[in-house]
Amino acid sequence: MKNKVFTGLIMFVVVVLLAVGFYTTNTFAKDKIVVGMARPLSGPMATIGDSAFKPIYDTWTDEVNAQGGIYVKEYGKKLPIELLIYDDKGDLGTMTRLTEKLIVKDKVDFLWPSCGTAFVFAQAPIANKHGYVLITAEGGATHVKDMLPSLPYVFVSLSFSDWYQIPVLAELLGEKGAKTAYITFRADLFGIEYSGVAGIEFPKHGIEIIGLNSVPPETKDFAPIIKKAKASGADVFCAFGYPDLVLPATGTSMALDYNPKAWIGGPAVNFGFYHTTFGPAAEGVLGFTTFACSQSKAAQTLCDKLYKGKPEEINDWWGHPLYWAGLECWKQAIEKAGTLDQKVIREVLATEKFNTVLGPTWFENGLMAKECHTGEIGQWQKGIFEVVGPTKNATAKFVYPKSIWPAPPKK
Amino acid sequence: MDITTLKSKKSLIWWTVIFTIFILLIFLPFYTQGYAVVLLISILVYVILTLSWVMFSGSTGYMSLAPAAFFGVGIYTSALIGKVFPFPITVLVGGMASFILAILVGALTLRLKGIYFAIFTFGLVMLIAYSLLFFEIQVTGTRGRFVIVMDYNTIYFYMLGIFMLLLLTTYLIKNSKYGLALRSIGQEEDAAAHTGVNVVGVKVMTFAISAFFMGAVGSVMATKLTYIDPFIAFSTTYSFMPVAMAIFGGTGSLYGPIIGAAILTYLEEILITKFAEVYMLIFGAILVAAILYLPDGLVGFIQKIWRRLMERNHVDT
Repeated sequence: MKNKVFTGLIMFVVVVLLAVGFYTTNTFAKDKIVVGMARPLSGPMATIGDSAFKPIYDTWTDEVNAQGGIYVKEYGKKLPIELLIYDDKGDLGTMTRLTEKLIVKDKVDFLWPSCGTAFVFAQAPIANKHGYVLITAEGGATHVKDMLPSLPYVFVSLSFSDWYQIPVLAELLGEKGAKTAYITFRADLFGIEYSGVAGIEFPKHGIEIIGLNSVPPETKDFAPIIKKAKASGADVFCAFGYPDLVLPATGTSMALDYNPKAWIGGPAVNFGFYHTTFGPAAEGVLGFTTFACSQSKAAQTLCDKLYKGKPEEINDWWGHPLYWAGLECWKQAIEKAGTLDQKVIREVLATEKFNTVLGPTWFENGLMAKECHTGEIGQWQKGIFEVVGPTKNATAKFVYPKSIWPAPPKK
Repeated sequence: MDITTLKSKKSLIWWTVIFTIFILLIFLPFYTQGYAVVLLISILVYVILTLSWVMFSGSTGYMSLAPAAFFGVGIYTSALIGKVFPFPITVLVGGMASFILAILVGALTLRLKGIYFAIFTFGLVMLIAYSLLFFEIQVTGTRGRFVIVMDYNTIYFYMLGIFMLLLLTTYLIKNSKYGLALRSIGQEEDAAAHTGVNVVGVKVMTFAISAFFMGAVGSVMATKLTYIDPFIAFSTTYSFMPVAMAIFGGTGSLYGPIIGAAILTYLEEILITKFAEVYMLIFGAILVAAILYLPDGLVGFIQKIWRRLMERNHVDT
């Protein structure tokens, strides 16, 4: 009997020691939050990655760490953020492999997003499979809405075509009396989607699409397209593609003196480099946006943090505030949850509202609610990319028709 | 001990080593952490592509840049029928689709030689990618497709199965009259034709067999990518990397391409995770150095050193 009691006692002590040891190593030893990312540090996507989400996560992480980190009740202290970043080379296969490495081998506490819509599509199922919360950055498409019900751990921050840019654009143009539109689009996921949504939304506001041109990725000469658009006499010209389409299409429109009443392009017009490239000639050009500095005190503070004393080229009026708000939601969700448990944090993200640079912010069926967007359509006016739609968020009135391109400087 | 006994003893040792490696690979998912399997999948993809490339190009000397075309056909097959058919059928169809494509392309183009063939095969990758893009935009109204998601152990076992089958096929070809005909084409095509070798037939069939394995591995790889579009599926990386890996490892032996692909894939893994900012610089420098200083590949270099050591020992005794 004595032996049995003695053995039982020893076993109890061992179990307690193991439990304490386990608890100690897992609860009190935590001194940082490790966030893993597979990002395009090299390759064709690097330029987009460097100007879109990178300035945000760099600035935001520095700011949070300067304040001591994120308070996690479970550990009773603030934990600083440590970033673990791998180069996916802009290759989808490498990105999926590195995402697995971050989760399975490095066992990072959290995952931040890869760069690009196709990459978001590929990364989301992996994050969801492992039960990792993923708030996406550069990427969004109508297709993502179909995916989200099966991906409860995925939250999309960026606005996109029918969420809720093109409906706002169509309404703005319709109100001003635009009757016809000519659309050129890059034959990629972005271009196909935006032209498709425009095909649905424009006719709702009495705008007939009288020309539709798909542009293969290798096309560099836009003169034939601009000539056709000019010959069509359309009120609105849309260039739905990345900077490699929008910038030369703008230049060609100027060269061929093509002056439609509205000229919209993106993503490119929303970047500061569009303005530095075309200067005053950018006046009146429309693009996609989220905010302007003058919109609120919070917006002005964010502008100062991100852009003050830096070259105008890095400004991104569409993505930056949304990515920033996404990170703010993530931080507040951790603080509200009081734990690093992904499941609990996911619940908080899916059900609660957060205070961000955009004001009250929340996710609706995995998408950042469109009511949180502080702008959809922007227009260059006197060197500022003003919000012109929706009207309730406007920082300036929509100018229609736009002024004609200035004459080229005389030699 | 006579030379025949020595050879059979050496052969027995080799087979024992290979058998042990395969046993270890089969049981690997049961005794390692999850990520080792993920990494091995990537290594196996490039090993299969490289070995398949060497099966045709290494033997005949024809520089094919079509691996991405056959690999991409496999990927798209998986995206198109993967949700409808059982997965083994999908893999088989992916392989067969590439096989048939290679027969058609080979019959049309394997009369071309040198740079013309290389450029044509590269053009084939672009042609298929853009044709698919056109089809997707005009007919389906989209650009990309989602692929069924499978667990990594299943993907790994499919890859391992394809690799074993490929190794066996390569071994059988190499040690047959067919392999002899193939090598004779590589050394002197006209002479091979004069000795009665059906030069075009052998070339086309080998091109198609190698394409079968590229297509099959593409079908499996698609499930790991989860989302694809024409430019992801037909990425030219899958054409150039097998060539670089084969050159790095050496094309003269069966295990040269395997070692080349395994080392370069692992090296890439180390560089992009540990030296992300200078990955391309280091990787490029290593490739340039390998081409300049290892003309027979890594395996050829090791064999050369081994022979010198043996010769020195022989002289000493």
